Amino acid sequence: MSADTPRLRPPRHRVDKRAVWWWTTRSLTVAVVLTVIPVVPAVIWEPPRFWLLLAAAVVGGLGLLITVVMPQWRYRVHRWEVTDTAVYTSSGWLWQEWRVAPMSRVQTVDTARGPLQRAFGLSNVTVTTASAAGPIEIAGLDHALATRVADQLTDTTQATPGDAT
Amino acid sequence: MSSPDEHRPAAEEDLPTVPSDARGEREGAASGEGGAAPSTADWQRLHPLSVWASAIVAGVFLVPSAVVGTVVLVSAGQPLWALAPVPGALAFLAFMTYLDMLRLRAVRYRVTAERMEMRSGIIAKAYRSIPRERVRSVDVAAPVYVRVFGLCSVTVGTGEKVGAGSEQLQLLYVTAEQGEWLRRDLLYRGTAGTAGVAGDSADGDPDAGEEAETELARLDRRWFAYAPATTATLGVGLGAITGLLGLNAQTGGVGWDWLSDQADLPSIAEMSSFVMGRFLLVVPLALLGLLVSGVIVLTAVAVETWWDYRLTREADGTVRLRRGLLTSVSLSVEGRRLNGVTLHEPFVLRSVGGADVRAVATGLAAADDKKTSAKSRLSPAMPRRRARELAAGLMRTPDSPLDGPLAVHPREALRRRFTRATVVTVLGAVLAGALAWLQTLVSAAWWEVVHEAEREIIPVPLATSTVEAAPSWGWAVLAVLIAAVAFWYAVGSYRGLGHGLHPRHLVVRQGMAIRDTVTLERSAVIGWRITRSPFQRRLGLADVAATTAAGQGVYAARDVGLGQGLAWAGEAVPELLEPFLVRGDGRGSDEPSHD
Repeated sequence: MSADTPRLRPPRHRVDKRAVWWWTTRSLTVAVVLTVIPVVPAVIWEPPRFWLLLAAAVVGGLGLLITVVMPQWRYRVHRWEVTDTAVYTSSGWLWQEWRVAPMSRVQTVDTARGPLQRAFGLSNVTVTTASAAGPIEIAGLDHALATRVADQLTDTTQATPGDAT
Repeated sequence: MSSPDEHRPAAEEDLPTVPSDARGEREGAASGEGGAAPSTADWQRLHPLSVWASAIVAGVFLVPSAVVGTVVLVSAGQPLWALAPVPGALAFLAFMTYLDMLRLRAVRYRVTAERMEMRSGIIAKAYRSIPRERVRSVDVAAPVYVRVFGLCSVTVGTGEKVGAGSEQLQLLYVTAEQGEWLRRDLLYRGTAGTAGVAGDSADGDPDAGEEAETELARLDRRWFAYAPATTATLGVGLGAITGLLGLNAQTGGVGWDWLSDQADLPSIAEMSSFVMGRFLLVVPLALLGLLVSGVIVLTAVAVETWWDYRLTREADGTVRLRRGLLTSVSLSVEGRRLNGVTLHEPFVLRSVGGADVRAVATGLAAADDKKTSAKSRLSPAMPRRRARELAAGLMRTPDSPLDGPLAVHPREALRRRFTRATVVTVLGAVLAGALAWLQTLVSAAWWEVVHEAEREIIPVPLATSTVEAAPSWGWAVLAVLIAAVAFWYAVGSYRGLGHGLHPRHLVVRQGMAIRDTVTLERSAVIGWRITRSPFQRRLGLADVAATTAAGQGVYAARDVGLGQGLAWAGEAVPELLEPFLVRGDGRGSDEPSHD
């Protein structure tokens, strides 16, 4: 690789710090539920108890590991940026994804928040284009900020001509 | 986004005018062949004959089975019951036809200057409306039972991908002239008012517009030779033969007994012992038989699908596909929405030098990728050189993007494929080892059970005896074979990778089993998606994908070097990705690096 090989620069803004707690809670919930599933029959049944508990331990350990590692990792990867011409995001942890969409091709902009996100005062901004690749999502923004970003995006999109296909 | 409610008042205020004059006009059009010029500014009905088309199709299946039922009942000594089938079938037919007539009466459609509207439903009323500028494709199909009435079905596709079914509007059936007129009119992007255009284009005889067409491709019957060149040939043959065997089993073996009596052929049991006796002779013959029947079936399908194939570009840029023997199909795609082409080369077809061409267009989307791909086919399998010419013609470029050199992907991409091949090899070895171990383990009694089970299922039980008789070194051969195929596939798959740029298009190529070379207009790119797995990050690779509204929506250069891929993407659509790229030590570069 030569010196003038381009690299992607990370988008300018991180998501809200509270997103770490949101991801932790989410991951912990899933881990606990998956661990409990083999524990319940283990309490009732004597013969396969050892194997069920072993399965529970493996699932629980793995879940705990993900719960500790994933949110921090995600926080370092998840970033976003909105310029006058484009939306630019990065997301993921093991599998990472960078998305760019020009303003002229944005069809709709939504904000959405689940109950868990609401508890942390967070929101998602979803930017839809005509592509089947799926919408661009900025997950875990402060709710007020998300609303502002969505408004800004809507304004810029409407000011840009074209039928978005 | 427009909601249907906005347009409802206008629609309702026009509706009362329908009954008297629209009906009279339709009947006039029906009786005088081609005499009445179709005009669709008013609400129109479907053609009354379409009821009879449906009735005849149902009748063709129902009446003979009713007759057969009668004969069977009479010969079974139930003359009273034998009176039931024929009148029952006729009554059922009449009832269905009546329902169909009600349905037909409820359907009304019209094309105005802004939109195409359709009302339907007897109990649950439906109103659907498509803005004309959203119309991306018009599909006119005429199955043989509809064609004899001079009718056709019209399917109007839009670029919207919302919900199932709602992106299409289908008329079953209208007259052939009306279908042709709708096809022309809906895709016409003139500045003049629709009514005037409608009159002009519909008044002339059907051949009036043909002079302005340029022909891109026309069927060459020799191309049918490519039809059986698929991996499915053996499978289809197997399907055909198992179908026959299944039929034989359904009738309790009567079919074969009758045949062997007539032709003095041996019975199944004799055949099976014969097969076991001359194993080496029979197996190749059986494979040959499968191959031949597969070839026959696939060629027949190709002839039905691609008979009379013509691909033309009309004066306004619309690309029109015509094909079909029993079901004649005419598909029109607005030229502006044809954003690129795919050169589709499945492995077997590729090895005999064939390819086919598919559209990368908005508005051809179906429920899933597979159906989208099938609907996008613009040509039958044809020689590769001809397919490339056709692709160039479709893209309207003198120097085809497909002829340009493609950048090679880094060696690390090959390493990834070798890693996968190694995993497959290990799994294959484990499988072979396990089978060998099982074979030494199981007892003769167990084999008896398996043979018994096989005899129940398969008429010529060979598989388990082969397995039982196989020598232990056979398993080693199996493992080696799996490994060889895995690595051969890895190399082929790496060789298939490529990406390139053309002044107007970008090109990506990938695939071993099915090699697709996709060209996509740079102006149709509506974003980029770069994805990296942990393995790709370790090797400095990435999948760089252009997102678009056309075709499958994402077209990726797989396992490209990160810098290489970004340079390519940055150059392909300069304004889009450039602001987010940084160069090594701050120096700018004009030349993409393809190292």
